[in-house]
Amino acid sequence: MRRRPGIAGLQGAAAARDQFRLLGENVAKIRTDLMKEQLATFRSQLEDFALKHKNDIRKNPAFRSQFHEMCAKVGVDPLASNKGFWAELLGIGDFYYELGVQIVEICLGTRPHNGGLINLQELCTLLRHKRKTSREAVSEDDCLRAISKLKVLGSGFEVISVGKKKLVRSVPTELNKDHNEIIELAQGQGYVTVDEVERRLSWTSGRAIDTLETLLDEGFAMIDDGHRDGKRRYWFPCVSSISSTVVTDA
Amino acid sequence: MAGSHLPPAELTTSGRPVLFPHEIECFLLSNVDLESEDSQQLNFSIRLRSGLLILTTHRLILLPPDPVPPGSKGAWVPLAAISHIFSSKKSLKSMFHSPRLSFQLSVGTDGCIDTGGSVRGSRSAVMTLVIRGKADVDAFVGKFWENWRARAWEKNSEETGSSGSAGSSLGSGSGSGGFDSTGMRVVGVAGILRREQEIWESTDKSLQEAFQDLNALMGKAKEMVMLAEKMRQKLLSGSSQAGGGNDEEMGSKEEMQDWLLSVGIISPVTKESAGALYHQQLSRQLADFVKIPLERSGGVINLIDVYCLFNRARGTELISPEDLLQACSLWDKFDIPVMLRKFDSGVMVIQSKSHRDEEVFARIKTLVTRPNALRMGISASDAAITLGIAPAMAKEHLLTAESRGLLCRDVSPNGFRFYINLFPEISVDALYIVGSHGIYATWINTISTSGLG
Repeated sequence: MRRRPGIAGLQGAAAARDQFRLLGENVAKIRTDLMKEQLATFRSQLEDFALKHKNDIRKNPAFRSQFHEMCAKVGVDPLASNKGFWAELLGIGDFYYELGVQIVEICLGTRPHNGGLINLQELCTLLRHKRKTSREAVSEDDCLRAISKLKVLGSGFEVISVGKKKLVRSVPTELNKDHNEIIELAQGQGYVTVDEVERRLSWTSGRAIDTLETLLDEGFAMIDDGHRDGKRRYWFPCVSSISSTVVTDA
Repeated sequence: MAGSHLPPAELTTSGRPVLFPHEIECFLLSNVDLESEDSQQLNFSIRLRSGLLILTTHRLILLPPDPVPPGSKGAWVPLAAISHIFSSKKSLKSMFHSPRLSFQLSVGTDGCIDTGGSVRGSRSAVMTLVIRGKADVDAFVGKFWENWRARAWEKNSEETGSSGSAGSSLGSGSGSGGFDSTGMRVVGVAGILRREQEIWESTDKSLQEAFQDLNALMGKAKEMVMLAEKMRQKLLSGSSQAGGGNDEEMGSKEEMQDWLLSVGIISPVTKESAGALYHQQLSRQLADFVKIPLERSGGVINLIDVYCLFNRARGTELISPEDLLQACSLWDKFDIPVMLRKFDSGVMVIQSKSHRDEEVFARIKTLVTRPNALRMGISASDAAITLGIAPAMAKEHLLTAESRGLLCRDVSPNGFRFYINLFPEISVDALYIVGSHGIYATWINTISTSGLG
């Protein structure tokens, strides 16, 4: 490919480029075949694995959790699509997507009560109650994974940590640091008073009242004015387990 | 528990079954139903629910669940009267149901089982065990077959048992009947506990193996990921070159997407690519499916609701949230009358293309300028009722209307309410002038007549 001057040179260069491109395409083609082959090998390996250990994954939440962690490290998402090999051969896709549907139903069912914030433990309890007849045990890790998949649909599904507890949010309302601090404070007794907030968090009265009122508006808190000391209590259903009256039907 | 045609089980004072001589307990299952299919109209119908099932060398004993309902008794089925055990089919569907095990009983003409134990009865009935509790069903089935074949009731001496259980996938040491390898008597509760222990230990071992296999698999998966990345880079860079052979390249691009999907890597739908073929087909399916729910919910529906509706309708082979998102994102490329829309709050909805924001705003405006609304404003639920859509959707529309300057919000102990925005009619230079034709005037009139002025 010597460089030649003039039009002939240009044509030559163009021809050379074409040739390189064709070669590139051929290489891509070869690689395609290689890819197909590799894919087939992988699939058969996965089939073998599924034959031996599908049951283990289904029955053993700890093993299942480990499986997910390893997939994440490697960079694959076994729950990304139901068309993937993982879902097809191991059958775990349907388990998590169904779990997602049930979680959405429970969150919708309890929203009038807790405004869209629910304790993860409470969610798991309600979930197990709903899935009474199903054989498979559902761990908290499973719930977390199902919820992380739901996140992508908008509507604010997310797990947030407040203090020692994990809360599942199912509304798009953003909670800022102030909100979180109050909810964390409420974990002690299930409720807070304005005085308590001012005292324990060293806030001004205005700040405390504003934040509490916002939480009230959004439905995350309920007012209790019935105490003898006349102080208003703000109850948070998401941290206190007043869930005995809320049982969603299967 | 109605077990009227099965012989009742004799129990000790503490509720444990009284065993026959030489009878040994082998397996314990909790939460088991026993049903009979009365296909020959023998008037032989049994329905035992959530009982405790004990498999022994001689029979199947069914005990009522704790707490024992008063007056209920246990029942038993002699293994001798079983003429056939059906093998259960394993399928993907069966994974989600409780395992069932059926066997055939020979029944005498009077409808009762011959407790003497033999297949002398002239008719037969099929009974099914539904195992609802957590249990190692495979091991149980194996032991069941083994005991049935061993015919311990025919021998009057102690069994010198079988070696290994035929169908058991764990290969747990089922040992010799009555004695285990260390010469300890393995009867009763001790035997059961020991059996449980053995099962645990062998599960542990099989899990170790499982982890090893998992590691090996992940190694391969990692290779696949790297290879997939290289291929993807190549194809993406290949697309930037204009030129012939585009069809072939497009074809392989879709294939590529499909492969990536198989391995578990989602690549986003880009301008050039139409994503995996799977998503393309799903996209059309969804567009069809979503027509009816859209009509029912006023032209707008939350994406997460669609996820639930679609999956519930499907039943099996559900779609993942990402599948749904990818499929919806593809609607742009095809000529489809629905679209995906994302609000500022992050909420995503599906709405029909014929749905116009302006129309909604016009309706909101009408709603909010009514005398009642001028006084008290409207809430999301009010809007929802008028617009015929879900409250969450109504809220999104109200917020959007607010951001367009149509409404003003009011946050008070009464909640979150919206009012018509009057500020455009109030000019800074002439604060006290009320134009006679504006809404401002109407508002003042309405307020003053109600005495709130």
